[in-house]
Amino acid sequence: MTEARLIQGNQACAEGALAAGCRFFAGYPITPSSEIAEHLARSLPGAGGTFVQMEDEIASLGAVIGASVGGMKAMTATSGPGFSLMQEHIGYAAMAEVPCVVVDVMRGGPSTGLPTSPSQGDVMQARWGTHGGHPAIVLAPASVAEVFELTVRAFNLAERFHTPVTVVFDEVIGHTRESVVLPDHVDIVDRRRPDGPVEGFLPKAAAADDITPLPAFGDGYRYHLTGLVYDERGFPTTDPTQTGALLERLHRKVDAYSPEIEDAETFMTEDADVIVFAYGIVARAAREAVRLAREEGVRAGLFRPVTLWPFPAKALEAAVGAARTVIAAEMNHGQMIHEVERVAASTAEIVPHLRVDGEPISPAELLAKLRERAAAQTGGRG
Amino acid sequence: MSGGDRTEIRLAGAGGQGVVTAGRILAEAAILSGRTSTHSQVFGPQSRGGASRSDVVIADAEIGFPLALDLDVLVVLSEAAYTRYVPELGDAATLVVDERAVPGTGDGRPQTHRFPIVETAHRIVGSPVATGVVALGVLEALTGLVDAAALEKAVGSRVPAHRREANIQALAAGRDLGQAA
Repeated sequence: MTEARLIQGNQACAEGALAAGCRFFAGYPITPSSEIAEHLARSLPGAGGTFVQMEDEIASLGAVIGASVGGMKAMTATSGPGFSLMQEHIGYAAMAEVPCVVVDVMRGGPSTGLPTSPSQGDVMQARWGTHGGHPAIVLAPASVAEVFELTVRAFNLAERFHTPVTVVFDEVIGHTRESVVLPDHVDIVDRRRPDGPVEGFLPKAAAADDITPLPAFGDGYRYHLTGLVYDERGFPTTDPTQTGALLERLHRKVDAYSPEIEDAETFMTEDADVIVFAYGIVARAAREAVRLAREEGVRAGLFRPVTLWPFPAKALEAAVGAARTVIAAEMNHGQMIHEVERVAASTAEIVPHLRVDGEPISPAELLAKLRERAAAQTGGRG
Repeated sequence: MSGGDRTEIRLAGAGGQGVVTAGRILAEAAILSGRTSTHSQVFGPQSRGGASRSDVVIADAEIGFPLALDLDVLVVLSEAAYTRYVPELGDAATLVVDERAVPGTGDGRPQTHRFPIVETAHRIVGSPVATGVVALGVLEALTGLVDAAALEKAVGSRVPAHRREANIQALAAGRDLGQAA
């Protein structure tokens, strides 16, 4: 391990990308994500990589997809307005099975909103933003150290499942500096490449584990990439059997592996009467609130999804257990709360604690909420 | 929500006073002393020429919530920063003000310390840019928050090489101010 350093979340993202093997970045600067581009602009050329500032975010993800099919690990980073522009290409990468990482440092919205304020307004967009129905992997770090860790993981998942992976965090995580010890070694995953003969190569032939090999353009294998529904050669088809098989396989690639992909953290949930559901920076406030509530005798707990998508439903169900109340705290008008309701509304009361004024949710306001709900439970028992 | 081993410090002043750099130096000095720290700053239009702010949280162990919530120390280096941040300051907090930027002592706070911080920076480097570093010297002498050697090392590694000597001098001058108090 190296020494502790004071680094910003956005810098940790750039360093995580480099550690994971990212050697191509294309992007368009936007607050509060610009430092990611700034760091990679400085460090990629020296690492044998390429940095390109594109004309906009549509082109940025297009260039990333191109670099990835050229064999590079590639990433872009943006914020809400740019993330909106990238949605079409996210769908293309999901359909064409191109590994890539998209980082969205969330700021207040909608539209250009509040460029320098934190928000969690893009978490449903990260799942459903592109059209047509597709699987999604979305990771939500809650600290500078975890930004590094999950950026590495995003590349590994993208390379393992040949799919776009999104990392979402908010302006506070992106801009705050924390003392962190970054590992000097990380485990990295590389995409599956074909090893059979070049002649007669069928890029999308059925694979037992649903993950088809991905050669780089230039490796010698001839194949075709398209956003249209394709057959085993990669060429467009409208055949219902092949269409159904492709779409089922694309979903299975994430659904069947969700136990391996899903991740969540729990804190003092075992005997909790009231659980806070929170992710990203809000989970940091919630953990503090839970700790303080426990000191006052309130049996509080925290559930933090680390993967927002696939949603760790089983882990949430287990954590909620016999708790009577779940407070869903988000810096948006209520997005992940719908997943919480889907999982836990039959056994617990789901209470929103939402904030959309550009200010982060504080430990004090969550502590007040925990006290209030705990008191309400006692009253109910009386 | 300060408490236990957690200490929260805010440096607030005008753009160009080196307030953000000083905050980073303080946080880095804490790490060099074997403690943990976080640093946050205000981004956006307010950081361009108007009020500038830099918050540091220092603790012995892992820091839960990384943003300042209940300041232990506030340093104000401009009148605008005084107007904006002093009203919300808790009674027990230590307040350090620049005596020229903030005229008068009418706030009645028992923990207010007044020093010619801006003037000292001007005297040493001929501009306001080292004001934040002078303030760090004051803080070190006044509060003992961070180790003097760590602070000096952090100043040396954060500022450009050709400014190092002047900044070390600024730090020492601040320390002298604090010690004289």
